[in-house]
Amino acid sequence: MASDCFPPFIAAQLNYLVHHCPLGVKVENVWSGSKSYPGVLDRFTLLIPYCLDYIKWDVLYNAEFPLCAPDVIFGPEDEHFHPFWLRSKEGGNEMEGAKNSLSEWNHKDPTRLCALIQELRDEYTAYQRRRAGEVDDDRLTFEISTILSREGIEMHMSSGLEKPEEVKLAVPLLDMNINKMVHGCPWRHLQKIHLQVVYPVGKKYVSAASAPRLKLVSTPELKALFSVDDVKLPSWVDGMCMAEYLPHLEESLQGQIMEAVSLIDIRRHFIETLAPVFGRPIEADPVFCRKATVLVASGVFTFLVHLFIPTQFPKQQPALMLQSSQHFNSQGAPIRSSLLTDFPWSPRWEAPQMAERILEFLVDESLNFKRFCNEAQLQT
Amino acid sequence: MDDLPLQKIAISGPTLSSLLQRVSSSPADADGLLFGHISPVAPSTLSDDPSSAATAASTSNSAALVATVTSFLCPGCPLSFFDSLGRLLFPSLLHHSQHRLIGWFSSRRRSRLQPSMRDFNVAASLSSDPSLSFPIDASDGFSPRVFVLFSTPPLDSAIHTHEYRAFQFRTAADTFEPRSIDVVNIGPGFRGHYGNFSPNSSFPWLACDSRGSSMMQEDGKEERLSEIRQVAKNQNEIDLIEHLSEMRQAAKYQNDIDLVAEGFPIAKLGRLMGPEASSYTAGLEEMYEKMLTKIDSLARLVENSSAQVLQMEQHNSKLRAEIAGIKRVVNC
Repeated sequence: MASDCFPPFIAAQLNYLVHHCPLGVKVENVWSGSKSYPGVLDRFTLLIPYCLDYIKWDVLYNAEFPLCAPDVIFGPEDEHFHPFWLRSKEGGNEMEGAKNSLSEWNHKDPTRLCALIQELRDEYTAYQRRRAGEVDDDRLTFEISTILSREGIEMHMSSGLEKPEEVKLAVPLLDMNINKMVHGCPWRHLQKIHLQVVYPVGKKYVSAASAPRLKLVSTPELKALFSVDDVKLPSWVDGMCMAEYLPHLEESLQGQIMEAVSLIDIRRHFIETLAPVFGRPIEADPVFCRKATVLVASGVFTFLVHLFIPTQFPKQQPALMLQSSQHFNSQGAPIRSSLLTDFPWSPRWEAPQMAERILEFLVDESLNFKRFCNEAQLQT
Repeated sequence: MDDLPLQKIAISGPTLSSLLQRVSSSPADADGLLFGHISPVAPSTLSDDPSSAATAASTSNSAALVATVTSFLCPGCPLSFFDSLGRLLFPSLLHHSQHRLIGWFSSRRRSRLQPSMRDFNVAASLSSDPSLSFPIDASDGFSPRVFVLFSTPPLDSAIHTHEYRAFQFRTAADTFEPRSIDVVNIGPGFRGHYGNFSPNSSFPWLACDSRGSSMMQEDGKEERLSEIRQVAKNQNEIDLIEHLSEMRQAAKYQNDIDLVAEGFPIAKLGRLMGPEASSYTAGLEEMYEKMLTKIDSLARLVENSSAQVLQMEQHNSKLRAEIAGIKRVVNC
């Protein structure tokens, strides 16, 4: 993003939005609408996370008219979304109580754009919720009524000529703060797991309601601790409803997360037992204990061993990658092996035994790796 | 019944091109007002062009209305008559006796041709203001509902330079409905439209009655007064008062004409006809010459003031760029 071509007042507001807004807004496209200064950017497309997807809004400033508040063009499918619409019965101009982030716009305040986008997104959430509530489908109306009380629930009604009508729900799961469970947590944003539920809008002539499409989605950073892809969703029995399904799923998820947190300590213990065998690790991930690097020497051949420890450790074995400290390719980068996992392993071994077995494997593997390095270097 | 559907929006070629010129020469986004009138479509089957007669008969609809844009006002800047929330700034000023406000337009460079958040709010404010509503055909009311959106193509490589789309704002569903724009040019297909673009000027309507020839400035007055005296004898006073007010009105018209004709009394026009006409050409030529000099001096005045306005605009633009900090960005 070439933010240095924005006029200062827009740059300040946009930077604040991108770096301080908890929504995680991204800027997709920037361009200029000015006639006299075609290089001065003043309009951009924002990607705003909503309902486990992104909505695209165009924000239009006028570089030459800094006092004018920006305008927003919403997506083509949202032609009925009208925020800040001041309905007044008579006169069209008595809007005493109207107060929102656009009134009394101040171009010198860097927080204004962020406040505007947040307020608009709140309005959009309410608008989509209203639309989903208006769908003429008894099952859907019932399902929505049971989960409406969940804080942070988001809905999206998608309809189009080609697409079948469906209502997408993003149901926040687990009322627990995962950030607080991890010691020394580096995450800036609160980690969340959502269940995405997609209901096809019922056709009147279909008697049996089909099961909704279900998918677990987590915030991307949570992968360091716990991968939602490993979770096996309980099956949806015919005639089931969300109110029955969710408590069951939440209970099992909660257990899995507790286990994932406790596995951090097992990984830490494993890294600590590497020290007597390999010497102190050169580098190790201190929070999630997913990575450790040790220095190994076989005669004069010294190389690094990166250990990638999976979240399912010790059920799953770590993956090893060897990196020579003496051989470099034509680009000057050190030569590395591919990920190695075909070494003897048993989850029932004690941690010191695991470390020793890895060392035994490396003693043999170092010869192969040295040959591989020499060949690779000869080719260049 | 305030929400009648428009069949289309008509605009004359010159008006559209001057509108495009205005918005494309403005430094940033611009918006403004559209004036004109709303009229029912008259199904015209009387035409000597057989092809046009056939199309007119097939498209005519007894209930259809056509909005005709005859003029516009564009201050050349964004937010010209509303605030950032789409509230009208001076609703009373928008109410103009001579020009009917039928809608508004907005121009945004390199943006999607889709009404924005603010467009909707402005359209809603305009259509909900009862003081801006006006009758059509003395029965149904119509408030300013026409919206024309201008843009330029998003990519510089495009071969066209302008894009536009017209909408009618419908209050029943609170939506913009796209409408076709009919650009009216000269030709047999547009014959029916000529009446819609009659020029509006402030030249007063001449109240000439059957005795118009006797309504001459100097001798006419005395004749009238003696007539009034006669009338007063025979009829009651009400008639007299009516007559007097009529006379006053005529005198006012005369004054208005004098203002325009300047030194050329309307009485002289009488001499254009009859046996005197041939000897009067010199007088007529003098009048034309006077008119030409007047137009010439007016043109010069306009040219000078335009230059001053341009200078001021450039100065303002510089000041604005300073406030926005553009100069620093461009220089570095």
